[in-house]
Amino acid sequence: MNSAALQPPSRLWLAALLLLCIGAALFSLHQQMPLAQWGALIWQPELNNLDQLLVYYSWLPRLCMAVLCGGALGLAGVLMQQVLRNPLASPTTLGVANGAQLALALATLYAPTLLVAREWLALLGGGLATLLVFALARRRGLSPLTLILAGLVVSLLLGAVNVMLMLLQPQGLAALFIWSAGSLSQNNWDGVLFLLPRLAAALLLIGWLVRPLRLLELDDSGARSLGVSLAKLRLLGLAVAVFMTACVVSSVGVIGFIGLAAPAIARLLGARTLQQRLLWAPLLGAALLLLTDFGVQYFAGNSSVLLPTGGVTALLGAPLLLWLIPRLRLPAGRPQLQPATQLPRLQREQPLLLLMALLLLGAAALALLFGLGPQGWSWVLDPQVLQWRIPRILGAAGAGLMLGLAGSLLQRLTGNPMASPELMGISAGAAMGLMLLLFIWIGAPLWARLGMGFLGALITLLIIISFARRHAYSPDRLLLVGIAIAALFDAVKMLVLSLNDPRGQSVLSWLSGSTYFVELPTALMAIACGVALLLLCLPLARWLTLLPLGESTPRSLGVPMRAARLSIMLAAAMLTAAATLLVGPLSFVGLMAPHMARMLGFHHARGQLLASALIGALLMVIADWLGRNILFPDQLPAGLLAALVGGVYLIWGLGRRR
Amino acid sequence: MRRHWLRIFAGLLLWLPLTLHAASEAPYSRIVTLDWGLAETLIGIGVTPLAVADLTNYRRWVGEPQMPPQVHNLGLRSEPNLELLTQLKPDLILITPQFEAARPLLERIAPVKSLAIYRPDSDPLQTAEEITRELAELTGHQPQAQQLVDDFERQLARLRGKLAGQSLPPFYLVSFIDERHVRVYGEHNLFSAVLARLGQENAWHAGDNYWGYAQAGVEQLADNPDAALIYFAPLPLNTEQQLAGSKLWQQMPFVQQGRVYAFPPTWQLGGLLAAQRFMGLFEEALSDE
Repeated sequence: MNSAALQPPSRLWLAALLLLCIGAALFSLHQQMPLAQWGALIWQPELNNLDQLLVYYSWLPRLCMAVLCGGALGLAGVLMQQVLRNPLASPTTLGVANGAQLALALATLYAPTLLVAREWLALLGGGLATLLVFALARRRGLSPLTLILAGLVVSLLLGAVNVMLMLLQPQGLAALFIWSAGSLSQNNWDGVLFLLPRLAAALLLIGWLVRPLRLLELDDSGARSLGVSLAKLRLLGLAVAVFMTACVVSSVGVIGFIGLAAPAIARLLGARTLQQRLLWAPLLGAALLLLTDFGVQYFAGNSSVLLPTGGVTALLGAPLLLWLIPRLRLPAGRPQLQPATQLPRLQREQPLLLLMALLLLGAAALALLFGLGPQGWSWVLDPQVLQWRIPRILGAAGAGLMLGLAGSLLQRLTGNPMASPELMGISAGAAMGLMLLLFIWIGAPLWARLGMGFLGALITLLIIISFARRHAYSPDRLLLVGIAIAALFDAVKMLVLSLNDPRGQSVLSWLSGSTYFVELPTALMAIACGVALLLLCLPLARWLTLLPLGESTPRSLGVPMRAARLSIMLAAAMLTAAATLLVGPLSFVGLMAPHMARMLGFHHARGQLLASALIGALLMVIADWLGRNILFPDQLPAGLLAALVGGVYLIWGLGRRR
Repeated sequence: MRRHWLRIFAGLLLWLPLTLHAASEAPYSRIVTLDWGLAETLIGIGVTPLAVADLTNYRRWVGEPQMPPQVHNLGLRSEPNLELLTQLKPDLILITPQFEAARPLLERIAPVKSLAIYRPDSDPLQTAEEITRELAELTGHQPQAQQLVDDFERQLARLRGKLAGQSLPPFYLVSFIDERHVRVYGEHNLFSAVLARLGQENAWHAGDNYWGYAQAGVEQLADNPDAALIYFAPLPLNTEQQLAGSKLWQQMPFVQQGRVYAFPPTWQLGGLLAAQRFMGLFEEALSDE
C-alpha cells in the first residue's frame, strides 16, 4: 500500500520532513547532553548520571509523547472528516477536546476518586460534547458548516463553565490552566505506556474500518446499495476518533488544531484517497507537534515562563485556518436556526414592544431592590447599597441592548441566523485588544480601554471584510473567518492564563463579563450609546429587509450593496466593541436575542431590531442579578451567566424538532 | 420618561460619596482586607479583621493563623462584594497593588490604603517588617507589633547561630502544580529572604517573576544535584502516588539522598507571620534528621 500511496512529490516531502525532524531532534539532544555521552546513553545508560537520566526519563518520553499525540490527533481528524464528509471536522472544532477536558476538570474538583479511569471519564465528556453538537446541528442534516458552528457554540459553552471553575478555585486550578493548554512535559514513561496500547487498539479498529469507510466517498445511495449500514459505520468511526482524542486529552491536555491542520495539509500535499490520508495525516501531525515542541523547549526551556505546547499549536493553527479557508471546497448548505416553536407573524408590533419595555423596566426595578444581603434575602432601599447596583444594572442593560442589536444586524446582513458578534469573532477581537492593554498598562483609563477595544474589533472586522470581499460576501466564509478568530483568541487567552500570573485573575474576571467595575458614567454612556445607535440603525430597515434575499434581488431594487454592507458592518462593530468593554466577549446574547425576537413573531426588520434590543437588555439584567446572588458573597460575572443560560437555551431550542 | 428618572438618580449618586465618611483618624478598628498576607499580619499583632476576601480558600491555602469565625467573607478577591462591604461599615480598607483597579470603588466606602510586601528590588522580609509596623500605627497596636518583630529577630538569630556550624545544601522551595510541574520560589520570594538571613542558599537561580516565583517542569529541578527540596502542601490530587511511581523523580538527587521536606500550607505571598512559620517548620525539619 505504501509505495502505491506515495506519489513522487509526496516522497520528496516526506524525506524533507523526516530530515527536518531528525535535525531538530539532534540539535535539541545536543543542548541536553554533551556529544561524548551519546554513546553511553545508547549502550549503557548510567542511572547515577543526571544528564543521561534526564534524557532518558524526560527528553525521550516527551519526544515519544509528541509523536504519539500528534499522530493520534491527525488520525482522529481524518476519521472525523471522512465520517462526516466535512473538511473542517476535528477534535477541537467539534468541541470533543473541550468536553473531555471539562469532564476531567470537574472530576478533579468534585469527584477525585473517578480519576482512576481518566481516559473513560474524558471519553464520557468528549462523547457528551459530541452529542450536544449533533443535537444542535441535526436539523440541517449535519451540513458541514452547521456542524462546525454548533461545535463552536458547544466549545464556548464548555469554556464558560471552565472559566467559572477557575474563578472559584484559583489556586486549585493552577493545574488546569496548564492542562487546558496542553503541556507535553514528562518525567517518566508512564504517559507513553498509557497511550501506546490504547492507540494501538484504536489503530486496529481503524484498519478493520478502512474498506467500509472508503465507501463513504460515494454518495449515500451508492454506499447503501453496496449493503453498508451507514449509520452504524459513521457511529463507529466517530467513536474511535473521540476515544483517541479522549486518550490524548487525559494524558497531556488539549492540543489545539493539530487534528485539523494535519489532514488539511495532507490533502493539500496531494493525499487524495482515504488510505493516503490515513497514512499521511498522522505523520504530518506527529511532525508538526514534534517541531512545535522542540521550538517551545528551545525558546522557553529554562526561562521562568512555562509555555504549554498545546496553546502554541492553537496559536499557530488559527492563521493556518485563515489560510485554508479560501482553499476549501465546501459543499453548499447554509446553517439555519429556525425557532422551534414560532408564533404567527405579528400584524401589529407596537403593543408587544411596549409590553416588553415594561417587562424590562419591571425586571430592572426588581434587580435593583431585591437580593441577598448579610441577613439573607431582603428588599433594600438604602441608597448606599443601591449605589452599587444601579451602574451594574444599567451597564448590563446597555450591553445587552447593544449585543441584541449587533446580533440582529449581523444576521440580517449575512442572511444567516447563526451569525452573531460572539460567533463571528468580533467580540474576541475587541477582547484581544483589551487583554493586551491590561498587561502593558495596568489601570488604564476608560478612554484607552475603549480605544483599544475598538481597535481590536475594527481590525477583526477588516480581516473579515477583506476575506468576505474575495468571496462576494458569502455568509459561509464570513462565519469561518469568525471561527478562526475566535479560536485564535481562545489560544491567546489560554496562554495568558497558563502563565499563572496573579494579573491573570483580573483578566479572567473581566473576560468572563463582569459588570463589577462599571461605574455610573460608563453605564449611562452605554445606555445612551446603545439608544443612539439603535436610532441610527432604524433608517437602515429597508436595506436590512432586502439583504437576506440574496445577491440579485436587492441589487435590482436599487440597494447600493457595498455601501449598505459596509455601514451595517461598521455599526455592528461599534456596538460589539462597546458591549465587550462592558461585559466581556463571553455571552450568547447577540445570538439569542434575535432568535427570541423571531420566535415571538417579529419579522419586519424594524420591529426585529427593537425587539432584539429589548430582549438583549432583559437577558443581561437577569444574568447580572443571578450572578450577584446565586453564590453570594461571591459574585459571578453577568456575561458568564448569560453564556451559560444562553448555551442551554440554544441547545434546548435547536435540538427540538419542529 | 425613563431617562429623566435616571438623571435624577445620577445626580443623587454623584452627590452621595462627597457626604460620606468625613475622614476618620487612626487608630482604626473596623478593618477589612483583600489580601491574605495583610490579614495574617493583622492577626499576628492582635487585631481581628472585620472581613477578609475569599475566606474559603484562605482556610485551605494559608491555614495558619486561623481566622476567627466572626470574620466575614467578602467573596472573591478580584471582586470583593461591595454591597456587603457597605453594610459592614468598615473604617479602613487594606489592599495590595494588584487590587488597585478596585480602589475608586472602595474609596467610596472607606479610606483605602495599599501596602505592598512585594515591590520590585526590595527585600520582602524587610518590607514585611515595615508593613507590620505600619499596620501597628494604623491600629494602635505598636507594642504587639514590636513584640512580633522582636520575637522574629530573636528566633532568626538563634536559628542562624544554631546552623552556623553545619554545612547545609542549597534548597529548592516549590509547590506542586501537578506531578509534572512545579511553582518554584526564587530570590524575590519571602521564604527565600528568610533562607538568606539564615545564611542558607536558594537553589533556584533561573529567574522569577514580580511575586518571586517561576513555573517549571519537575525535571528542571535536577539542575543542581547537591540541592535539597522543600515543598508546600496542599498537594494536588494523586501527586504523591504519581511521583512515587516516577523513575526520574526517584532518581532525582534530593530524593535519592532523602533530602525532601514536606511543609504544611504556608502562604508564600504572606508577611512576617508566614516568614516566622516557615522558619519554625525549617528548624523542625532539620532537627528531625
